[in-house]
Amino acid sequence: MKRTETYLLNMGPQHPSTHGVLQVKLTLDGERIQRAEPVLGYLHRGIEKLLESRTYVQGLPYTDRLDYISSMNNNFGFARAVEELARLEVPRRAEFIRVIMAELNRINSHLIGIGTLANDLGASTGMLCCFRDREYILDIFNEVCGARQTFHYIRIGGVSGEFTDKARALTESFLARVPRFLAEYDKLLTGNEIFRRRIVGISPMTPEEALALNMTGPNLRATGVARDLRKIDAYSVYGEFDFDIPVGTHGDNWDRYIVKLREIKESARIIRQALDKMPEGAIMAKVPRVLKPPAGEVYSRTEGTRGELGFYLVSDGTPKPYRVHIRRPSFVNMQGLDLMCRGMLIGDSVSAYSSIDPIMGEVDC
Amino acid sequence: MEKSLLSGIARWIHGEISTLTGSPLLSDLVLIVIGIAALLGIISLAAIVFTYAERKVCAFMQMRLGPNRVGGRFGLLQPVADMLKLMSKEDIMPAGADKVLWALSPALLFVPAALVYAFFPFDAGAVLVDVNVGVFLLLAISSQAVLPFLMGGYASNNKYSMIGGFRIVSQMISYEAPLLFSLLGILMITGSMRLEDIVLAQQGGHWFLFLQPLAFIIFLISAIAETNRTPFDLVEGESEIIAGPFTEYSGMRWALFFLAEYANLLTAAILATTFFLGGYLGPSFLPGFVWFTLKSVAMVFLIMWFRWTFPRTRVDQMLSFSWKALLPLAILNVFLTGAIMYALDLV
Amino acid sequence: MFGKGLLTGMGVTIKHFFGKKETFCYPEEKLPVAEGFRGGNLTMDWRVCIACQLCAMACPNKALELKVVTDAKKKRHMEHYIHKTGRCLFCNLCVEACPVHTLQWDKNFAFSSWNKAAMTHDAVSDADRTDLKELLANIEAKAKAEAAEKAKAAAEAPAAPAKQQADAKGGEA
Repeated sequence: MKRTETYLLNMGPQHPSTHGVLQVKLTLDGERIQRAEPVLGYLHRGIEKLLESRTYVQGLPYTDRLDYISSMNNNFGFARAVEELARLEVPRRAEFIRVIMAELNRINSHLIGIGTLANDLGASTGMLCCFRDREYILDIFNEVCGARQTFHYIRIGGVSGEFTDKARALTESFLARVPRFLAEYDKLLTGNEIFRRRIVGISPMTPEEALALNMTGPNLRATGVARDLRKIDAYSVYGEFDFDIPVGTHGDNWDRYIVKLREIKESARIIRQALDKMPEGAIMAKVPRVLKPPAGEVYSRTEGTRGELGFYLVSDGTPKPYRVHIRRPSFVNMQGLDLMCRGMLIGDSVSAYSSIDPIMGEVDC
Repeated sequence: MEKSLLSGIARWIHGEISTLTGSPLLSDLVLIVIGIAALLGIISLAAIVFTYAERKVCAFMQMRLGPNRVGGRFGLLQPVADMLKLMSKEDIMPAGADKVLWALSPALLFVPAALVYAFFPFDAGAVLVDVNVGVFLLLAISSQAVLPFLMGGYASNNKYSMIGGFRIVSQMISYEAPLLFSLLGILMITGSMRLEDIVLAQQGGHWFLFLQPLAFIIFLISAIAETNRTPFDLVEGESEIIAGPFTEYSGMRWALFFLAEYANLLTAAILATTFFLGGYLGPSFLPGFVWFTLKSVAMVFLIMWFRWTFPRTRVDQMLSFSWKALLPLAILNVFLTGAIMYALDLV
Repeated sequence: MFGKGLLTGMGVTIKHFFGKKETFCYPEEKLPVAEGFRGGNLTMDWRVCIACQLCAMACPNKALELKVVTDAKKKRHMEHYIHKTGRCLFCNLCVEACPVHTLQWDKNFAFSSWNKAAMTHDAVSDADRTDLKELLANIEAKAKAEAAEKAKAAAEAPAAPAKQQADAKGGEA
């Protein structure tokens, strides 16, 4: 009689491809995965509580450290939540700069997502290509805010520094690079038969499953649901731009990869339009020296790089928020891991991790 | 045929010792010892050169500079630094490991990797052991590398090592078959299993690369799989199972694995050179072993080029590729070779 | 055809192999530091500083530990400006809070250290403190002289209260 026994494989938190400190307990039957259980909390810093013990202005730099790859989007989300709470009006020029920064950061984050996927599949040259191109985005950020990580650029009421001519020139030259490097990825990765065979049809997910698991962002769009808060809510000045929402069909790793590639293209389109339409004017609203939003609560959501990034703030009229809760898209998307890994091989589990693209700073918060 | 530089040197040494001691047996023995030392030297040299070359090739393909600190601007002494680092590292034995098997594994792995060098014709007449079943022995010995890998994986008391051990058994057994069948066509044409005969059959630029292109591709893929390099580096696929059977090894033990890996890499390159690229044959303005080295290095570069371009395959894909694609193609190649030989009345 | 993608991929890598390299040798060559670069230690000139301590108040993580002295004329001076880089978020809020714009980053980003002690940095150097002491002494002397002059002037009229005032001033300094 044939009898097999399952065993437990502990992947992470020091495993080379678990993206930071993710631990996954895999129940395996040979090389087939029967169950994948993520274990979280290795990078928990209590950011929600930290935000509650600081003023709104002081809390902003902590949001940089949530999803440290896409700090701009986190700054944007938190700043928008506080502005909504304090009923601040942001200057139009600042909104355009914010959109440019958020989209640049989206490209940055997707490049890392694609690069780590390539690296996890063994194509380390693909990863180095992505990191090379990401460097040009960091140059822009460095120019506008003086940091290559943890930007703290988008502030409550506007942005901290002027979008200089030099920054504009850097952005223009980066936009000129986008089609070139996308063509290179197509040659190096997308067209590569081994790469294709590794991710086509792996970890598929239906739209129903994805919605039931509350997935958002590229992970949801890969299943074919065109849900993008930039279109649905059209917050900030997103309503003025013409862009498409790329969607996949099967919700497999291949679709997640392609959706990210195409979102880079769409983000570049938005940046192009924003650069052309950017008005002159102030970059910072008049924010009172001690910001005391009126008592009340607000849930403000933006489209982060990994999905719906929501900030729930409760104010009691003091300079510090009474309660902060952050809806972190990476954390919610991690719910899909078990579903994506079941029935797959060990080699597929790593591509599932990197196509969910979790950032542990955000998952553990 | 007997005019090559290397065999000339050997004959000279033989003659000198014979006249000095008057005993041909002793001089034979000395010559064999020198030959073994030379082969071990070649393997060590290959490991040193290839570590450096791999780092540089990898770096250049990834638009990086690579080693540039130790030993001048080009980091030429980097392998020495690597070696010193490995030697100075602590030798850690995992708790619960099967101590005997665990210690034996790296040493045993090196044996088949080094042994096959005895059969390679580095130059005309420069073969340490000239046997008439060279191909057969070569493949038989090199397939022994499976066992030490499995031993290391089993003895490490680590699940990653164990999975790596399982993987290498299935991988090496699967790719042994297409490798053998891809060489059968050549053996049919030459009618000899002696490696030097195979080289000599390619005289005048009739490389088997042109006569047997399909066999060359199958051979190359299988050889890469046998040496566990990308796209078939599932055994040590670091993003999946850390380093497979090597996970728990450190220091000099790991260095032995490393040495065996590079010895195997050179073996694959030398086999490709011997079987398909005309071995040491080439225009006479360069000595034979220079041609041999050039061709082998070109093959090594090709294999490194693959490694730094391609992603890794998956276990099931690797196995099905071997049994469902490579093996039928190799058998087809054998059949076609036979049919053409029959049609041309060469049998 | 199967294999075409593999060959184009190999074309890309061989182009990289012979192409321009993107990296450089770091300590010998460095990227230019941006104008607004935030990094390294904080620097400030105690002569300009008005010791308002707004920077310390703006800091979200209590990374600044300041010690302020008051001179004989009730003007505040910075004696110790300790920047704990281990706690610092490099968020720039302190620099933006400075009303006299003397607080700045030294932009020396390569300041990682082996021990925790090296992670605190005093922006007021020992030489500065000697100068500060001299200044404080000067001010005190000046204040004393002034007080004495005042006392002299006051001695003609009601002597007792003025003397008390001068004593009080001297004691305070």
